Amino acid sequence: MKKRVSFIVFCLAVPAVVVGGALLFPAKRYAYVTLCAAVLSCLPFFMQFERKDAGVKRLVLIASMTALSTLGRVIFAPLPGFKPVTAMVVITAMYFGGEAGFMTGTLSALISNFWFGQGPWTPFQMLSWGMLGFIAGLLASPLKKSKALLAAYGALAGVLYSFIMDVWTVLWADGFFNPARYAAALASSVPFTAVYAASNVVFLLLFAGPIGRTLERIQTKYNI
Amino acid sequence: MRAFAKLHPAVNLVYFLCVLSVCMFVPHPVLEAEALVGGALFCAATGKRGNIKGELLFYIPMFFIAAAVNPLFSHNGVTPLFFLNGNPVTLEALLYGVSMAAALVGALLWCKAYSGVMTSDKHLYLFGRLWPKLSLVLSSALRFIPVFLRQSRRVGRAQKAMGLYSGKSLTDRIKNKGRVLSSMVLWSLENAVEVSAAMRARGYGCGRKRTSFSLFRMRAGDKVWLSLCLALYAAVLAAALTGDLNFSFYPKIGEISLSAAALLGYAAFGALSLLPFAAEIKEAVQWRYCVSKI
Amino acid sequence: MEILRVENLSFRYPKAEGFALKDMNLSVQSGEFLVLCGPSGCGKTTLLRLLKKELSPAGELSGRVLYGADAPTVGFVGQNPEAQTVTDKVWHELAFGLESLGLPTEVIRRRVGEMACFFGIEGLFRKRTDELSGGQKQLLCLASVLVMQPQVILLDEPTGQLDPIAASDFIAALQKINRELGITVILAEHRLEDVFPVADRAAVMEDGQLLLCCPPRDVAAFLSALDGHHAMLRALPSAARIWQSLRLPGDCPLTVREGRELLERHCKTRGALLPEEERAHADDAALELKSVFFRYERDAPDVLRGASFTVYRGVIFCVLGGNGAGKTTLLNVAAGLDRAYRGKVSVFGKPVKDYKGGSLYRHCLALLPQDPQCVFAHDTVRADLYEMCEAAGIKKAEREERVREEAERLGVSHLLERHPYDLSGGEMQKCALAKVLLSAPKLLLLDEPTKGIDAFAKQSLCGIIKDLQKDGITAVIVTHDVEFAAESADRCALVFDGEILSADTPRRFFAENSFYTTAANRIARTLWKNAVSCAEVSERFLAEGEDG
Repeated sequence: MKKRVSFIVFCLAVPAVVVGGALLFPAKRYAYVTLCAAVLSCLPFFMQFERKDAGVKRLVLIASMTALSTLGRVIFAPLPGFKPVTAMVVITAMYFGGEAGFMTGTLSALISNFWFGQGPWTPFQMLSWGMLGFIAGLLASPLKKSKALLAAYGALAGVLYSFIMDVWTVLWADGFFNPARYAAALASSVPFTAVYAASNVVFLLLFAGPIGRTLERIQTKYNI
Repeated sequence: MRAFAKLHPAVNLVYFLCVLSVCMFVPHPVLEAEALVGGALFCAATGKRGNIKGELLFYIPMFFIAAAVNPLFSHNGVTPLFFLNGNPVTLEALLYGVSMAAALVGALLWCKAYSGVMTSDKHLYLFGRLWPKLSLVLSSALRFIPVFLRQSRRVGRAQKAMGLYSGKSLTDRIKNKGRVLSSMVLWSLENAVEVSAAMRARGYGCGRKRTSFSLFRMRAGDKVWLSLCLALYAAVLAAALTGDLNFSFYPKIGEISLSAAALLGYAAFGALSLLPFAAEIKEAVQWRYCVSKI
Repeated sequence: MEILRVENLSFRYPKAEGFALKDMNLSVQSGEFLVLCGPSGCGKTTLLRLLKKELSPAGELSGRVLYGADAPTVGFVGQNPEAQTVTDKVWHELAFGLESLGLPTEVIRRRVGEMACFFGIEGLFRKRTDELSGGQKQLLCLASVLVMQPQVILLDEPTGQLDPIAASDFIAALQKINRELGITVILAEHRLEDVFPVADRAAVMEDGQLLLCCPPRDVAAFLSALDGHHAMLRALPSAARIWQSLRLPGDCPLTVREGRELLERHCKTRGALLPEEERAHADDAALELKSVFFRYERDAPDVLRGASFTVYRGVIFCVLGGNGAGKTTLLNVAAGLDRAYRGKVSVFGKPVKDYKGGSLYRHCLALLPQDPQCVFAHDTVRADLYEMCEAAGIKKAEREERVREEAERLGVSHLLERHPYDLSGGEMQKCALAKVLLSAPKLLLLDEPTKGIDAFAKQSLCGIIKDLQKDGITAVIVTHDVEFAAESADRCALVFDGEILSADTPRRFFAENSFYTTAANRIARTLWKNAVSCAEVSERFLAEGEDG
């Protein structure tokens, strides 16, 4: 019962903050309102994660995958936009479930920004990577079966990531959603979006097999 | 000098939440200017000497670009200055752009200050009690990163010395880095199992409720700081609630209110945003004085 | 008083064919210092893990483990200090176990402070754990287990990854907690030189069974009664090995002092010199360093300060030295991984920087890093070896043949289908060497090849390196294992303070050193100044001894 109540509270809280924010603040500070909404949308996942009785092995493995994807972001830093983070998050989700994927995604964003710079974009990155992981977890079995689907998911994830982050760019710069600027932002980030999508596809196709086998081996060897 | 960073993490966090929430939700040119100045002074006082020039070269152009872009996209306002491609560039949009830019740079500076002060261990201390599992994952990941970085360097060198680095083209580079990453995956997951065994060996998950230990202590000075910060915040909020801190650029630029409430608000927020800088200065002066006596 | 007892304990891992433990019986007294020894894979680790309930592996179990009347708490310290460290700050590491026990902050503060004082690590208290050296980390692991006040502490090869100095410090700390706090210590170890003199009893295991359990002094006698050439004899302290091979009367000596007294009692020779063997080598240099200077960063201090030495073709060259003396750096500079900012490094007469585009690493030079895990990137050993074939430019048709050949040469043919991380330390070292050798190097650089491997693996590695030498490979080995250097090297050199201090044949090299030398040399140096290994000492004794 308690679970359900808190779930409902959260389902209501997010839109309430958005609507309330829009009504309360005269100058249209949507950026901040969406920022709060982003933070709030992460909370139920965190709380669910806290409640679940997961073994310490699983927790440390998630920490490892988080550290690895952050490391990937660092290793590949010389190649702009070419980051294995999304791929690592998706692979984690495929083998450890959507929740683990969500945690890996959000925490990778949070932690790598301790190096690359923390800012108001952090909650958005957390939410986008987290959601990409969560959805991959839901699609785990088809993604494991079909390489084509995996590649498509990677490409889509790259585009979606760019779209979401551009919404934020526009809100942050204008204080409200300015379609003209959104279009301009999208157009200017086409090369980046393309690199995101391409790198996701490349990394997923290259690594899903070997990393997946390693994860499966660890799961059976140490029965997790 | 890191006087502010040495305060209790809860004080740091409350302070940042106060300043950032005002920056976010009470848009007003005076408050924006105050936040900008406070953030810049604090960053300058705590940052490395040599970096200041580089920082200025980053923030000043950003300020001007952010200020200039708005009037190109937004054509609201009643005072056209000139026409560009048949679209009016208005005074209101221009000033709104300046205000936006000030808010943007101010927020970035405060975020930088936040990153410098709120290190990962402070976050873990504050949120660890609330979410013990999450904080375990977070702290383990943070601990793994330097270890993994070192290991990945070792792996890279080992592979280079085995002659596995074929060429210098982009695909070769990606392939090489990919090989390092897959070696790292093998190693790190095996390592994770060992680490979790070490945790269980030290009683993690033994069923008892974990406590959270830290070296932070709430001292008298922290309480003074906290009350001062909350009092100033309350004053700003009170001023904001009177409506005297409402300000709009469109359709025509509003007036900067000079009512008693508004003046209180300006003063309180000015004091609030200068608090950490003042603390740094105070410590610097104390140290000077102390050294001169020795 | 008995603190724990193992009764008819058998254990089998899931899907494993054989039993890891067969019908073990063992009783441990309160306050005892017990050493578990035996070759890798004898079941030491399995036994220790079964004694610590939280770490019990999954599998088929029969028999039981009984704990003393007052339900003693059990602490556990593992092999790898890096993976044992679970947090990023020293103070948090110490507090972690107490947090798990749910103790309040004030209690934790006191206990942690007290423990830091006991171990003398107050100075490290606020440091980051990754700033610590291996020895400090392992000591910290011990401290953070002890802070939970266990009555029994189990240690699984805790000194495997440490250098000899840090290892003997660690054993001294164990002795201190055993003597001063009365904590029962059960220690699995393969390096017995320092451990045997301080232990109360030694339990020797073999194939999951307890072979014998008796005071360390009696182990040698019992083992030689079982089988005069028992493999385990090789792992015993040097004094015990000499005593055993000479079959001298009296108690078995365990320390250098006891060993020397025994020899001096039975042999009158003093200060003799063994003849120097002629060791032939080619005239041309395989590796030459001429006053090399190196530092990691512009403002960092120099790590190498004018290091110069020459390794002639066909020689096994051992570089010895303490931690942080610059041994590994020396090897990296020689391998062209780090660039010297002054001085000359040449391989087979050609400056390293003139080898372009990785040609240095093809059919020329290969480096086996300290941590063999760095070498593997695939899920079978075979896949890793094939990857190397591809990089070395071996044609597809020839790859299988080459892999088979190399695996046979190193005796790892049966391991090809295994996962690299399922191998023991010694097996992994050999597979890594096989991978490195596929590039057909003429100069092989090895960084601490004996780290974490037992006496038998060490012996076989020594044999392999000598075989490679016959095949014309020059080897440069960086190590702090003096016994291994004495046994394998043609020439030894000491690095100190970024310089090569002396390079000479092992005989002359160790005869000159009085501290940094093998235990056998320290035992016998009053008799034969330059006898280096146990075998040499025994041989000389049989030729000259028992004359008085």
